[in-house]
Amino acid sequence: MKSLLISLAVVGLTATAAFAEKVTVVTPFLAQPGTQAYVQGFEAEASSKGWDVNVVDTAGDVAAVISRIEDAVNQKVDAIVINVDPAQVAAGLQVAVEAGIPVIGMDAGADPLLVTNVTSNGYAMAAETSVYVANRIEGKGRIVMFVFDAFPPVQVRGVIADAVFDNHPDIEVIDRITPDVQDGGIADSRAKMEAVLAANPEPGSIAAVWAAWDQPALGALQAIEDAGRSGEGIVIVGIDANPQARDAIAAGGNFEASVAQDFQGIGKAAADAVARAIAGEEIRAKVMYVPTRLITAANAQQ
Amino acid sequence: MEFAGLSKLYGPATVLEDVTLRLQPGRVHALMGENGAGKSTFIKLLAGVVPADAMTVRKNGSEVTLRSAADATAAGFRFIHQELNIIPQLSVAENILLGQDMPVRARLLVNWTELARRAKQALAALGVEHINVRRHAGALGTGDRMLIKIASALVSHDGEAPPCLYVFDEPTAALNEAESEKLFAVIARLKEQGAAILYVSHRMEEVMRVCDDVTVLRNGRHVTSVQLAETSREAIILAMTGRDIANGFPARTAHPGTDIVCEMRDVSSATLSKLNFTLARGEIVGIAGLTGSGQTELLRLFLGLEKQTGGTARFEDVDLPSSPSEAWSRGVAYVPQERRSEGLMMHMNVRLNTLLPHYTGWRARRARENIRTVELSKRVHLKAEGPEQSVWQLSGGNQQKVVFARALGSIPRLLLLDEPTRGVDIGAKFEIYKLVRELSEQGSGIIMSSTDLPELLGMCDRILILSEGVQHAIVDPDGMASSDLLQMFYVADRMVTA
Amino acid sequence: MKIANFRQMGTLLGLLLIILFFTIQLPDTFLTARNLINVSQQISMLAVVAFAMTVVMVMGDFDLSVGSMASLAGIVAAVLFALGYPLWIGVAAALAVGMLGGLLNGFLVAVVGILPFVATLGTLTIFSGLAFFVSGGRTIFGRDIPASFSGFARSGIPLDSIGLAGLKLPFLSISALVVLAITWVLLEQTTYGRRLYAIGGNREAARLAGVQVTRLRSSAFVLTGIGAAAAGLMYASRVASANPTQGAGLMLDAIAAVFLGMTMGKEGEPRVLATLVGVLILGILDNGLTQMSVDSYVREMLIGAIVLVAVATSSFRRSH
Repeated sequence: MKSLLISLAVVGLTATAAFAEKVTVVTPFLAQPGTQAYVQGFEAEASSKGWDVNVVDTAGDVAAVISRIEDAVNQKVDAIVINVDPAQVAAGLQVAVEAGIPVIGMDAGADPLLVTNVTSNGYAMAAETSVYVANRIEGKGRIVMFVFDAFPPVQVRGVIADAVFDNHPDIEVIDRITPDVQDGGIADSRAKMEAVLAANPEPGSIAAVWAAWDQPALGALQAIEDAGRSGEGIVIVGIDANPQARDAIAAGGNFEASVAQDFQGIGKAAADAVARAIAGEEIRAKVMYVPTRLITAANAQQ
Repeated sequence: MEFAGLSKLYGPATVLEDVTLRLQPGRVHALMGENGAGKSTFIKLLAGVVPADAMTVRKNGSEVTLRSAADATAAGFRFIHQELNIIPQLSVAENILLGQDMPVRARLLVNWTELARRAKQALAALGVEHINVRRHAGALGTGDRMLIKIASALVSHDGEAPPCLYVFDEPTAALNEAESEKLFAVIARLKEQGAAILYVSHRMEEVMRVCDDVTVLRNGRHVTSVQLAETSREAIILAMTGRDIANGFPARTAHPGTDIVCEMRDVSSATLSKLNFTLARGEIVGIAGLTGSGQTELLRLFLGLEKQTGGTARFEDVDLPSSPSEAWSRGVAYVPQERRSEGLMMHMNVRLNTLLPHYTGWRARRARENIRTVELSKRVHLKAEGPEQSVWQLSGGNQQKVVFARALGSIPRLLLLDEPTRGVDIGAKFEIYKLVRELSEQGSGIIMSSTDLPELLGMCDRILILSEGVQHAIVDPDGMASSDLLQMFYVADRMVTA
Repeated sequence: MKIANFRQMGTLLGLLLIILFFTIQLPDTFLTARNLINVSQQISMLAVVAFAMTVVMVMGDFDLSVGSMASLAGIVAAVLFALGYPLWIGVAAALAVGMLGGLLNGFLVAVVGILPFVATLGTLTIFSGLAFFVSGGRTIFGRDIPASFSGFARSGIPLDSIGLAGLKLPFLSISALVVLAITWVLLEQTTYGRRLYAIGGNREAARLAGVQVTRLRSSAFVLTGIGAAAAGLMYASRVASANPTQGAGLMLDAIAAVFLGMTMGKEGEPRVLATLVGVLILGILDNGLTQMSVDSYVREMLIGAIVLVAVATSSFRRSH
């Protein structure tokens, strides 16, 4: 009798395990804070849905992402989530598509082989900060831009800022700088900014610094403070709202604004997309955007 | 002290069977036998590093158990091996007191004065006063290294029995005559102090001189134990080999030719000078002198490793080879002095070790290589399982035969031998002599350096005496004795230094 | 003798046990033709680096720069593709870079006499810096990579004719097999290989026995460099992109694979077929444990522990 109960219990357990949807998340970047936040958001949502989630980190190895996608396909999981450039792992995506397993991108980039990609809207983020600058300087003044066109997600930000500033006849972009990012980008941006300050010694000759991400903004801030020109009211903005940037914004200096992505929200939205794909729903939008938030001194510490 | 019923099996092979040995304080007991007779295993059992399958050890009538190296040390047994594992970076004193608690000052700092005092004391007990204990041990010569190893063995740890038995395993293998003399003086002193000494050696002259008793092993069995005064050299050799090869050197049956293999006129190098000699086909020229007089360098001239700086040197009417690979391809074969470090790839098989210099073309065919290896192994009477056996598993004598098999791979035009029988037992020695003789009769010119003087006298047509790299004389060994030759070394040495 | 054989076979036995374990745990998915073909493709790049590494390890040397050489080779090819050069030029240039890098390693180790560990640690940094320099630190991908290049890693020989409908033997796996065959012939069937083993056995003795140690050591490093570059190309083809750090992970795994293989050598010497066993152990563990949903960090610890256990068991048996 007792043994019968036990075997029933075992059968019951295996049965639940067998019915739970299996989802594999593969990323080479789990060590990075942003990725960790996506994955946390995803896992929280997945556990409320009762899924069996396996997170695989290949520690920077992109080819291993393909291998692990192949393994997951072989294991017949219900869905796969990736956080890597889909063009680089197309070999693995092809295998999944052939096996009829949906692959969802979590801030991965758009690709025909993905059901959809959930991310923040880079165009929108750049529009928020560039418009903030244009409004703060009341549509006129000389501006320095920090851009990085070699990296597509950052490149789109520059395009939008160019368009916004171009649309104000009294705004003049005096320099469009691509810093060296080998050391993270702060140090080189600072050096470049010091050169710009030296070339434009008149107070008020620089109205604002627009940076496509936070590191150059921080470098520019350091250069301005060091040159003793923080009193000129030069407006600095960045994008991403990393902790160092938030601190600088909260301090109420020249660095006034940045835009925060909702990483947890991306994870959660990716989980929702997975649920829809598993349910067999056709998802039309190849890219799904999760709203971002402008960070200023008012909300920097939240 | 008695060691009774020692047996040891390795797999199905019996290495030692029921061997009994009695040692008395104040006497030097020789343990002799050919390689593979079981001497090394015997010592390992005594040292507790290898467990015996059966063994009873009695010291002064009471039984002692030897299960580990620590047991052996605690029982007062001390071992001095032929390999001198000193730590060259440390001082002499530190080497002597290695493994002991360092004397300290203020609980923390090493008390160097006390350390030096203890080391000096240990050396003084051996009657040794010429070694500065504060020097780096690496700066010492081989003989002095041996002395500090003995001094180190002499020091006893707290709570241990004082040393009552010293086991010397081939102690003179790496020593020159003068250094050996120092060692013998130390052994005499230990003997006076009432210790028992077990002396393992291949060298008959040495054993006859130093020891009081002898035990002979053959194929793992006890053959005889006898006082040396009651036996003869010939009887011991017979007991060791089971055959009569008392006349140690094979006789020459042909005379050297007149074709000149190499010719040296006023040749010099960084360490050598005034070399003037010729070597004819079929001739054996010996190189003799005190250790470190340039013997090895002279041989290496022919390998391009010692660069000629002056004079005219000709090998088969052309310049000397400029590299070992050129030398081998021009028919020079070399048997280096240090079998382990210069001669053999110990962890490689007999085949590779034998054929290495003789590979030609790009294709290596294992089956053909094996046939060739077996052929060469047969010629040197190698005792091995086959071409695939690793060389380290062979006895010292057989390892040396592999080096010779390599030299035979092509009939060498010039054969360079550096201490060809060092650490080789009597039986294997005789086989090597026969091979050398055979090669000379087939027309190889042979240059042989050796510190074994009877060997030089017995084998060579002429002997070149070197002193500090300078050619002192070339002598005809006919009718000479070892002592005459030794006398000449010292004369040469004095002339050069003066 | 028998004991020695058992020791040598221990690692192979371990591989079989691992396969058996996964076959039982994953009855439907592990021991299938599709999965095995997957594994063969997944391990192909590591295998090529490990085979190349075996060549220098036979001489008792090391090459720590293989990973960054693989990255550099991928970058060189991709940059040339981006500049519009044809496929064969990119590939040939990448292999030439491998050759030159190997020559530099060989020169430093064999001619200058720097310890291989130090010399190749230095060149590791140089190659890596060069890869960043040439690429400007960015990943080269997308339109810059010709479809014929990335297509190589996605195609293979169809296996329909032998009853495996829809499956193909990937070109990457075939490439690894070709490198295996070349390395095996080189090390086991040529006098060149014999001499390399002799150098590994005792460099000084080999030199005195007429082996041209300097020349051979340099040439072996060149071969390893070319092998690393080939693996870098395979990697770039598989990910259809080139990134200045992408080969970095290959070096440690390759060394681990050779070490695993060395436990099977009669005297603990590296043999290329034994290296293959080592590569298979690492690759199959990766594949099977992922399928069993074992946490990737636990997986890493497990693999490290298995390498240690294999090598420790082998050295323990050897010394007792």
